[in-house]
Amino acid sequence: MERTVTVVPEAGLHARPASKLVQAANRFDADVSIGRADDGDDGLVRADSMLSVSGLNVGHGESVRVVAEGADAEAALDAVCDLLTSAVDEGGESGNDGDGEAE
Amino acid sequence: MTTLTGVGSTPLSGAGTARWYRPEADLTLPDPPEPSAVDADAELSRFEAARDEAREAIRRARDRTAARVGEDEAAVFDAHEGFLDDPELVGDVEDAIGDGVVAEHAVHDRFAAAIEQFEALDGRMAERADDLRDVRDRLLRALLNVDGLTDLGDLPDGTVLLAERLTPSDTAELNPDAVAAIATVAGGRTAHAAIIARSLSIPAVVGVGESLRDVADGDDVLVDGTDGWVVVDPDPAERAAADADEAAAIAERVATADGRPVEVAANVGSEAELAPAADRGADGIGLFRTEFLFLDREAPPSEDEQYEAVTAALSAFPDDRVVVRTLDVGGDKQVPYLDLPSEGNPFLGRRGIRLSLDEHRDLFETQLRALLRAAASEDGDGLAVMFPLVSRLEEVDAALDAVESAAADLDAAGVDHAVPELGAMVETPAAVFLADRLADRLDFLSIGTNDLAQYVMAADRENDGVADYHDPLHPAVLRAVDRTTSAAAGTDAWVGMCGEMAGDPALTELLVGLGLDELSMSAVTVPAVKERVRAVDAADATALAEAALACETRAEVRDALGLDGD
Repeated sequence: MERTVTVVPEAGLHARPASKLVQAANRFDADVSIGRADDGDDGLVRADSMLSVSGLNVGHGESVRVVAEGADAEAALDAVCDLLTSAVDEGGESGNDGDGEAE
Repeated sequence: MTTLTGVGSTPLSGAGTARWYRPEADLTLPDPPEPSAVDADAELSRFEAARDEAREAIRRARDRTAARVGEDEAAVFDAHEGFLDDPELVGDVEDAIGDGVVAEHAVHDRFAAAIEQFEALDGRMAERADDLRDVRDRLLRALLNVDGLTDLGDLPDGTVLLAERLTPSDTAELNPDAVAAIATVAGGRTAHAAIIARSLSIPAVVGVGESLRDVADGDDVLVDGTDGWVVVDPDPAERAAADADEAAAIAERVATADGRPVEVAANVGSEAELAPAADRGADGIGLFRTEFLFLDREAPPSEDEQYEAVTAALSAFPDDRVVVRTLDVGGDKQVPYLDLPSEGNPFLGRRGIRLSLDEHRDLFETQLRALLRAAASEDGDGLAVMFPLVSRLEEVDAALDAVESAAADLDAAGVDHAVPELGAMVETPAAVFLADRLADRLDFLSIGTNDLAQYVMAADRENDGVADYHDPLHPAVLRAVDRTTSAAAGTDAWVGMCGEMAGDPALTELLVGLGLDELSMSAVTVPAVKERVRAVDAADATALAEAALACETRAEVRDALGLDGD
C-alpha cells in the first residue's frame, strides 16, 4: 500500500525530521520506501536508511510518495506520513512526538 | 622544567596530565593485505565491535550535550547514530569485507563514496558530509586503536587539555571538575571560548604559540593563568608559587590607595553563576544577561518566571546593585521560536534594542513589567536595567516611554512596582558620539568593550583573520572609552564597563584612570581586579591613561602600560 503526501516540516527531510523518519521506519517489520512523487518507482529509496533519506534532498512543500509492504504496513504508513505532515521544526516541538515514541 | 609564555585568560592555576585534543588527527590506514589473507569473519566482528564502541560514544555525547547545552544541539547526534546504523552503508561495508577487504579499508572506502555524494549536493547536504566524516572517524579510531581524544566531555580527572584552539562548543562540553586547565596554541582572551572557560572557572592560558606543540601527551604540566605561563615538569616550588598567585576573595568594597571607590561586579549569564559570584566577592552584578531565560525552550518565559529570576539575583546580592540587560538576541545569538531573519550581516542587522522596540515589542513589554515588579520587591532597590545596542536617541526615548507605559499599566492593575535605575550599553560608535545626550537622559552607561572594539575597528569578533584588530588597546578604542567617560563626567550618570577588558587585572589602573566607576567581569577575575584596585593611586592612574591616550599605535599603548609586546 502507498500514500502521497506534501512535506510540511520547514527543514524538509533534513536533520531532525530525517532522523525521526528513519527511526520510525525502523520500528516496523514492513519494508518502507520513500521517493519524490514525480520520480515514480525508480525514485524510491529505503526509508530506514539515513543515507538514502537525507540523500533525497527533499525540501518543504515537495510531494513525496511513501510505499509500505508487510504485516504492519498500514501502521508504518501512518507513522511515517504523520512525521511528514506535521510541522516538526528543528526545535522539535511536535504534538506527534508522543505518538511515535509509544511504539 | 620548561616554561612557555602565553596570555593568561582565566586567572587561576591548575596542574595535571597533558592531553592533546586533535579533532583533525591523522587517521592513516596501513596498506591493505591481500584479500586471500583476510579472515572475513574476524573482520566482521571487528567492524561490529567498532560500531558498538562508536554508538556508545555518540550516545554519551548526545546526553551530555542535551544536559549542558540543549536538546537542539544534541539532535545532531541522532543523525550520527542514524548513519552508524544505516542498513545500506553497513551492508556495503559488510559486502566489501566479504570480498576480502579489511574492516578499516572497507569503512574508509564506503564512507568516502557517500561523503562525495553529499558534497556534490547543496550547502545543507555538505553538513551531512561533515556528520558522515565524524562517524567514519569514530569507527576508524576504534578500528585502529587510535586513542584520539574526541570526547571532550569525558576526560579523566586532572587533565590539562592542550589544543590548537578550541571552539565555543568544544569548551562548553568540558567538565570543569575533570579539566584542571587549558592551554592553546592560538586564540586570544576575548575569544568566546576563552570567555566560556572563565565562566566555568577553568584555568587557561591561550595563544602560547608553536612551542606548545613540543609538550607531549602524558607530560606533567602546570598552567598559571595569572601570569600566562605553561610550565612542563614543574618543581614543587613553582606549583606553590602559582597557587599563591591566585588572589583571595575580598568581600568588602574596594577603593584606590588614595580612596576613590571602584565597584567590582560580576557578569552573570545563569542562575547557577549567582552564588559563585557572591563567593568571589563581587560587588553585585554589572551585567545580568537575560538570554538564558529564553534559550533551550519552545516559547518565551512568562512574566512571573522572569520576575522570579530577577528577584533571585537581587536576593543573592541584597546590598548591591544588579544591572539587568534586557533581551539581547540577534547577531550570533539565535532563538529558534523567535523566527529571527537570516541576515547577510547579522552583527549589523536586527539585534538588541532594535528587535525589542519593533518585531519583539511584546517580549520587551513583558520583560519590563517583570522588571518593574522586581524593583518593588524586597531587595529591589538595587535593581538597574539597561538596553543593549543603542545607536539612536529615539531608541532611548522609545524605551523610556515603554517603561512609563508599563508602569501605568501596572498602576492601573493595582500591582506593586517601581522604576529602577535605567541605562544604556555603549557598544556602537554611534552611542559613543551621543554619550553626552545619553547621560542626560539616563542614570548610567555601561561600555561593552567586546562589541565596541568590533564596531569601532570594523572587525568581526569571530573572524580569526581580523583577530589582531579586535583588541581594546587599539588607540581608537581607548579614545572611544575616554570619550564616553568624559561625556558623562559633567552629569549625574555613572559609567561602568562590562566587557572582557574590565576583567584583565593588567588594565585595571588604565581603566581607573579613564574614569570608570564600575568594572564588571567574569566572577573568577573579581578577586584579582579588586586587589589591583587597592594598589592603584588615582592620580598615577590618570597620568597613565593620559599617556596611553597620547599613543598612536597599539604597540605604543602596550609599551606605555608596561605590557610585553605582542
